Amino acid sequence: MIKKRTRRTWTHASLHLAMLAVSFCMLLPFYWVLKTSLTGENIFVYPPSIVPVHPHLFYYIDVWYYIPFPRYLLNSVVVSVLSIAANVVFNALAAYALTRHFRGRGAVITVLLSCMMIPFQTTIVPAYLITAKLGFLDSYLGLALPTFSTIVCIFVYKASFEAVPRSLIDAARIDGLSELQIIRRIMLPLSTSAVATNIVLSFIWSWNNFLWPLIVVRDPLMQTLPLGLSRFLSYHENTTGALYAFCIMVLAPGILLFLMAQKEFIRGLTSGATKG
Amino acid sequence: MHAKFLRILRHRFVAVPLLIGIAVIGWNAYVATHNGGTVRGVVLGPDGRPLAGATVTMMEQNFTTNSDRGKTMTRADGAFEFTDNRSHNIQLRAEKPGVGRSDLVVVRLYFRAQDVTLREPLRVAKHAG
Repeated sequence: MIKKRTRRTWTHASLHLAMLAVSFCMLLPFYWVLKTSLTGENIFVYPPSIVPVHPHLFYYIDVWYYIPFPRYLLNSVVVSVLSIAANVVFNALAAYALTRHFRGRGAVITVLLSCMMIPFQTTIVPAYLITAKLGFLDSYLGLALPTFSTIVCIFVYKASFEAVPRSLIDAARIDGLSELQIIRRIMLPLSTSAVATNIVLSFIWSWNNFLWPLIVVRDPLMQTLPLGLSRFLSYHENTTGALYAFCIMVLAPGILLFLMAQKEFIRGLTSGATKG
Repeated sequence: MHAKFLRILRHRFVAVPLLIGIAVIGWNAYVATHNGGTVRGVVLGPDGRPLAGATVTMMEQNFTTNSDRGKTMTRADGAFEFTDNRSHNIQLRAEKPGVGRSDLVVVRLYFRAQDVTLREPLRVAKHAG
């Protein structure tokens, strides 16, 4: 009995050690970026200092004032909010349709799954032409349009919707609810994890999007943060501290959102993995 | 009703943005009341005593350039004051013909036009900087 308990303790300890080592490897680059943003220490300095020497916040202030950072931030926020709203609504509609039985459902799912394998770069020319025809170039709508619906998020919703008991939907229908009302009043409130996953994923994808804004934006004041970062790099080469501060300022909202929604996010992804 | 309101308020999706909002409003209120663009300081001569009649030059520092933003003279007590700073990153230098000049002092501010009084005086020396 004691031998068994000792073995279990050792297993737990080694597991935690392994997790600590992995966490260390994952967090070290973040720490290094943060440290450099506070000290401006050149990355080629040898030996590197592990602890920040004379840290200060002035590189963050430089970033805020030397480029139109507040404007880039506003652009990124508007585009991300549009993308999140569209993803939450459109993906729910698509996923609900896929939980219903209709002719060709299997084919639709197969086509959607196949489309996941096509990288966005290959469809960028038709996407640009469509956006131009719609007159959305150089606009928030044009920036957000390709991220309005993502197949992965549709399947996250679908897995969550399929877990809702059939009898509940039938009862709602008998009570006179339309299909849209069923989605809004039954499906979405019972799928908060899927909603959170949709929010986090669509936010991160639209927030980090670089290629599409690069192509669709002409006006410098319509640029988003990733474009601003590349513009910032082109200004001056010797800006290590300010550059890393910029990276932190771009990363911070995404990390904050993930930390707030991590429980729902992970639950949403794992429910998709087991029931999909 | 009260308990429900408190529960909503304590939810992390409400509490975190609310706290960030309060911090942003507080910071902007502080900035609005401290952005007069005043830069004050003292110039000391080679003997360590306040230097009257020295010219203090203020330069605005950008990524690659330093542009002249104004000059002022020190008073009898060695004190000087600029009232029109619009930058967050300035450099100061004091100079008096026949006495010498000081090193270029970089003054970093937390926001544009922040009112500031230099902690260290500008020290004029014969062969400085």
